[in-house]
This record gives sequence, C-alpha cells and structure tokens, in this order.
Amino acid sequence: MAIIEVTDLRKSYGQLSVLEGVSFSVAEGEIFGILGPNGAGKTTTVECVEGLRKPDGGTIRVLGLDPATDGRALREQVGVQLQHTQLPDTIKVWEALDLYAAFYSRPRDWRELLEQWGLADKRNARFGKLSGGQKQRLFIALALIGNPRVAFLDELTTGLDPQARRTTWELIKQVRDSGVTVVLVSHFMDEVEELCDRVAVVDRGRVVALDTPAGLVDGLDAAHEIRFTLMAACDPVALLADLPGVAEVTVTADRVVVSGRGDFATAVTAQLARHHVLVSDLRIDKRTLDDAFVALTGRSL
Amino acid sequence: MTALTKLATVEVKLLAREPGSIVSMLIPLFVLLVFGSSIQPGDTTLLPMTLAMSVGLVGLYLLPTTLASYRERGILRRMSTTPVRPYTLLVVQLTLQLVLVVIACALLVSVAGSVIGAHVPGAALPLAAALTLGVAAMFSVGLLIAALAKTGRSANGVGVLLYFPMAYLAGLIQPVDQMPALVARIGEYTPLGAFRQVLGQVWTGQSPSLTLLVVLAGYAVLIGTAAAKFFRWE
Repeated sequence: MAIIEVTDLRKSYGQLSVLEGVSFSVAEGEIFGILGPNGAGKTTTVECVEGLRKPDGGTIRVLGLDPATDGRALREQVGVQLQHTQLPDTIKVWEALDLYAAFYSRPRDWRELLEQWGLADKRNARFGKLSGGQKQRLFIALALIGNPRVAFLDELTTGLDPQARRTTWELIKQVRDSGVTVVLVSHFMDEVEELCDRVAVVDRGRVVALDTPAGLVDGLDAAHEIRFTLMAACDPVALLADLPGVAEVTVTADRVVVSGRGDFATAVTAQLARHHVLVSDLRIDKRTLDDAFVALTGRSL
Repeated sequence: MTALTKLATVEVKLLAREPGSIVSMLIPLFVLLVFGSSIQPGDTTLLPMTLAMSVGLVGLYLLPTTLASYRERGILRRMSTTPVRPYTLLVVQLTLQLVLVVIACALLVSVAGSVIGAHVPGAALPLAAALTLGVAAMFSVGLLIAALAKTGRSANGVGVLLYFPMAYLAGLIQPVDQMPALVARIGEYTPLGAFRQVLGQVWTGQSPSLTLLVVLAGYAVLIGTAAAKFFRWE
C-alpha cells in the first residue's frame, strides 16, 4: 500500500522553475531514497510533501492526507529531520527530547531513544557542546520522538566520519524494521546503495529514473571492461570477439582488455574455462550507482 | 496545554542561561547603585532613567537577538514540522521578555525606594500607562530588528548600535540640559526619549503629556506593523 503518493508536483520560485512534474509513490515500510545533484529539487520535493512549502501544482497524499489542508493531523504522524537546523546552544539533550515529546499526543519514551541513539551519557550535555555526529543523532531522535509512521531524513550523514556513517546506517535499518517508513534525501551514492529499497533519481526538477539501486545499475546500458593477463599463449581475439555482448578485444603483449555491454563477463569467463585458458590478475569493472547516475543525468555528483 | 507549559519552562531555563538577560538586568541596577550615593533623598530623575534604560536594553538588545537567532538556526522552521505552531514560540518568548522587564523594573524600584531613598510615585494608573506604552514602543523596535536581521549576531549588532544613539538622544547618557538644544528637541520625540520624559512626568507628580503618550502608541503601532509585515519564518 502506498503511504505517500505524489503526482505531477510543480513548483517555481519566481521565474525559476524548480519542480516540473515530479511523481512517485512510497510503499509502507520501505526506505525510499531521493537522489540527485545539488539544486535538482530534492529538498523542495520533500518540503512540499512535509507541508513546509506549498506546491504550485500537482497532488500530494501522505497517509491519505493532503499536507496543505490536513497539516495538523499529518504532523502528528510524520517525523522530520531538516538540513541546516540547529537548536539553542544552551539547551540540554534531555530537555530538547522532553520538549519535542510534549508537542505530540502519543510520543515515544525519550529515555529509550536516548539509549538507542547512543546519547545516554550526553543526557545533560548542552547542544552547543555536542560533536557533529552527536548533534545528528539527536536530530534523528527528535524526528522519531512523535512515534511517526513516516520519517523524512534530509542529508542524514553529511559531515559525519565514516565510522559514524556506518553506525547511523545500521540504526536507520532498525528504524525501518520497527515499521517506520523512511524517506531519505541524499547525494551520497554509497548511502543510497546501502540503505534504500527504492530510489527516485531527481534531476532538473524531474524524476529521471525510479527503481531499486540494483535495478538502476542493471538498467545501465554502458560499456564496461574486463581485463586479465594470459598465462599461456593463445589467440584471445578469435576466442572472445564473437561472444554475445562483447564489443572489442584488445591485446597488448599478454594483457587482454575485453569491452562490452550487458552481462558479457560471464560469457567471457565461461569461454576461457571451456578452452582451458589460464589467466591471472582478472579484473571486472564493477558498475556502480555512480555510473548509473552519470548515465541518467549526464553529470557526476 | 502541556506543550505550552513545557515550552515556557524550557524557554525560562534558556533565558536564565543567556548572559544577555542577566546583563540587561544588572547594568541599570549598577547605574542606579553607583549614582544613587550622590542623589538627594526624594530624587525624581535617576530611577526613571534606569527604568528607561532597562526597557531599552531588553527591547533593543535581548529580544531581537533571541528571536533572530531562533529563525537563523531554523528552530522556527523545525517547529513548523511538529503539531505545535512556531508562532507559539514567539508568543512565549515575547511574554517571557515582558516578564523579565517587569522583574527588572520591580527590582530597580524596590532597591531605589528602600536602599537609596529615591522617590517612588504613588499614582499607579499614569505609571502603568507610561510603562505599558514605553515597553510597547521599545519592543516594537526590537521586533522590527528581529524581522529585518538575517542572523542573531547581526540583530545583536544593530540592537547595540541603535541603543547608544537612542540612549543619548533620550538623555540617558548626558543630561538633556547639557545637550545642544536642537538635539535635545529631536530626542524628546524618539521612542526612548518620549518614554523617559513620560516617566519623568509621572515621577514629579504631573499627569503624563498626552502628546508623548500618543507618540509612543504611534511608534508601537507603526513599527509593530512594519515588523509583522517584514517578519520571515525562515
């Protein structure tokens, strides 16, 4: 069942058109990613869905409610972590959680969230004294304090060190496993690949692709390469050039590079095995979400 | 109701942790005590001056700094994603700063009346009218600064920058009779100047000038409207 339904969303700021017909739907219980370069319209899209901005056109339904007219009922069931927000420097961690819990009619126990997000020993610390990672964890905890059915997380791990990012990812999976639908805005490929069940790639105000991360990579019809070194003399061109998917075989001394499209790597390795050709130093260029992204948007992040 | 109570409790704590709120309480008190030793018993000048100073500091410095930084930090925006509306926070802040002004004035009056032996007027109604309109005028200037300043820091800067000329024109830095006549004349009609004069009239037992009360009310309405018009949530 779709928990968020966005159809033909349009928004412009003056002359500048930011969203030009964005449509997607988010299923209950999934982690849905919105991926795109800076200025693509990701944040504007989620801000319309959260009810922070009024779209110029199109329809939005979140949990069956229209954010523009049923905002109050919706905000009870939605948790939000915004990019670039701060708290007063002098507020203590527990005070912030306790305060935000009072805003909702059925809040979660903030002590539990404090434990879960590793902030128990920072309970009495002031916001201004927290590290970047601790602040970020506090904001996620605040997004979950109202016991929401949907959580929007915008640029979740920006500014975190690699260790803290991994930890955050694990916690986000736990959030999903506890039944909360997560909408993740990101411009990090690894994050989207690791976390998201499905991804909408947004570019220049439009959804240019919507699939699972693996689906996006598989749908990529770009040439890639497989390389190896021959351990005994043979003619790789005769052996490999006619295999399905193979575009070109180049040999430089004993080093062979085979380029092609689709899943030609399996065919190449099978053919080599069938003819008992021993090779070493075999490398297959793994296609990544990065490649898919470049192919879809014509630029890299 | 619990959300409002909780919000008020937290904001009281934050205000108490803010050095600015303590400073704006203590500077007028300090002035009162330092100059208090050299006044005649029954003095009618020093206490109204320090009261105007106190209202001016909170209105021009503390209020805009707090509100602008709440917007700058996205606290108002973050709140607008919760079931509680962000204007609640503005109302709570404004109320608390009013309470702070009342406490500061009460402190000044009680210290001046008991320790220093300055005159404390008995006419409650003119005093209340003068204080209400003076606070309204100064707070509306503060709200306009909060509406226009992009950051808490710039609101702070503008507030301090406005406070000193306004305090000078109001005769809080140099006695009015030692100021150039034209400057003193202009100063009479500035928000802080009009406020100080009205307080002075109440202190000397005159009924406050209707013109000056209307001037203060005018400032409150005009500047307050401009503040509401220019205010941005983000």
